[in-house]
Amino acid sequence: MLEAKELMVFYENMLALNNVSITAETGSVIGIFGSNSAGKSTLMYTLSGIMLDIKKKEAMRGGERITLFGSLTFEGRDISNLPPHARAKAGIVLCPERRRIFPESSVLENLKIGSYLTSVRERKNNLEYVLCVFPRLHEFLSRQGGFLSGGEQQMLAIGRALMANPKVLLLDEPLLGLSPVYQKIVIKAIKEIRKTRGIAIIISEQYSRPVIPIIDRGYIIENGSSVLEGTKEELMDNPDVKSAYFGIE
Amino acid sequence: MEARRKERIDRGIKVRSEGIYVVSSLKEMLYVAGPRVFLIAGLLLLPLVLEMAPYWKRVVNIMCVYGMLAISFDFLANIVGLVCLGGAMFIGVGGYMTAIFNVYLHCPVYLAIPLAGLAGASICTLLLLPCLSLRGVYFAIVTLMYPLLFTRIIEALNILGGTNGITGLDSFPNPYLENYVIIILLLVFVFGLRRLVDEDIGLVLRGIKDNDQSVKASGINVAHMKALAVFIASFIGCLGGAYLAHLYMWAGLSLFALDFSIIPIAAVTIGGGGSMLGALIGTFILVPLSEFLRFFGTFRIVIYCLILTGFIVFKSEGLLTYFARKYDQFERWAKI
Repeated sequence: MLEAKELMVFYENMLALNNVSITAETGSVIGIFGSNSAGKSTLMYTLSGIMLDIKKKEAMRGGERITLFGSLTFEGRDISNLPPHARAKAGIVLCPERRRIFPESSVLENLKIGSYLTSVRERKNNLEYVLCVFPRLHEFLSRQGGFLSGGEQQMLAIGRALMANPKVLLLDEPLLGLSPVYQKIVIKAIKEIRKTRGIAIIISEQYSRPVIPIIDRGYIIENGSSVLEGTKEELMDNPDVKSAYFGIE
Repeated sequence: MEARRKERIDRGIKVRSEGIYVVSSLKEMLYVAGPRVFLIAGLLLLPLVLEMAPYWKRVVNIMCVYGMLAISFDFLANIVGLVCLGGAMFIGVGGYMTAIFNVYLHCPVYLAIPLAGLAGASICTLLLLPCLSLRGVYFAIVTLMYPLLFTRIIEALNILGGTNGITGLDSFPNPYLENYVIIILLLVFVFGLRRLVDEDIGLVLRGIKDNDQSVKASGINVAHMKALAVFIASFIGCLGGAYLAHLYMWAGLSLFALDFSIIPIAAVTIGGGGSMLGALIGTFILVPLSEFLRFFGTFRIVIYCLILTGFIVFKSEGLLTYFARKYDQFERWAKI
């Protein structure tokens, strides 16, 4: 459904992504693993189109020049030059790293912003759905987003992305800074979303141990290039990968 | 796949002239010193070149006053992160202060201007002290309100000459002094501020702009540093105002005019912020331009606005950023 071919991203003269190809089918969960500076966030930004935005801003500011190569197709349509808002409208929704919720709006308002494009009826259904996936959000619907804890904010961020009716959900480091308890809640929610919605989910993570059981296929990225790709089992069986990325001896 | 991309590479001479090794060759020394020498020599020669055109000598003086305001705005906005629209306030307070020292207290010019700078900066800093914790637009509005407040107070209470202003300030003894006082002040403050920004104190100030919580966590009193920065910036502005009052031999309400707040912002936008030199280049373009456009009569403002908008839309990085990049780097197509 979403197919990225030979993606290359340059930050000025630094190669941040080198020939990365990724496909995500409907109903599958894709894991993207790599350490810091591997290029995970760059990949997520490129898929969601935010990179085009950053490129424009940097050019206006006279900062680093960002160059993009490669093709992106979504449902048979070329979306390489589609701006991020149009991609979100088409169904590619990013839940950004560090959550980026609206700190001065209430939880309910945060969720409503996510569903700006959908109809009233859909919004109602989606809201019910999000509250079903994250029942804990019920308790603080009227609280200000900025005063939630990290874990609660992460639930809110994923909820906000779900409100936009995504066909492809991009989760950039959804477990960042979460306690094991909250990690479990988020992982459970991802499983639930996959089961009930049947959408494609792309998760990028550094610490892949909790994520690995729920993925169908995974990519391992090192220094901007995809060094290994395969199903869950293939990744698990690779001895180097086991110790380096999954923390399994 | 025949994909190409344009890459930017530092010029060899730029790399060679980094650090102490620059002294090993004349060419490299020229490369580093060239732009600075060009600016300093150009400014110093300007009054001599314009010997035949006294009107334009006057324009240069006013341009330098705007330059002082622009660097003080640039310093506060792009280094410390306080958007200060107080150019009019600095000019007005400085002008009235020098009038008080010169006319009422009979100080000579060379004493009145520095005293006015210090006294004016102290007043401005004290007045802005309660607003230092405000950020962004709130601080800007407060600094914009003070000049209006001052004009109304002077009008209503009929103090300091009321609407007529204070007349009879001493002028400068000769026209060369008139030119060179402001030019040298400007150069000293531009290079002084650039040095200050690279010192430890500049690091702290830039830190305040980025993340003041982290600065506090490093055990630094943010309010104190901000007050210091406002004092420096208002000192520069007040000196400009004091100079202007002596240039006109008059201190009046028009020293609180909004132009003094707006033109520096436009100049920084055109020149590129954060480097002080960009602010200077901006004023050197804007002020003479507005004089040239006087030929067009009332159409002047339209052309002025069009040029300004064009710069902001098409070269929003600022002229200095653009030229500095061209000076230090070259571009070439690279195959992938």
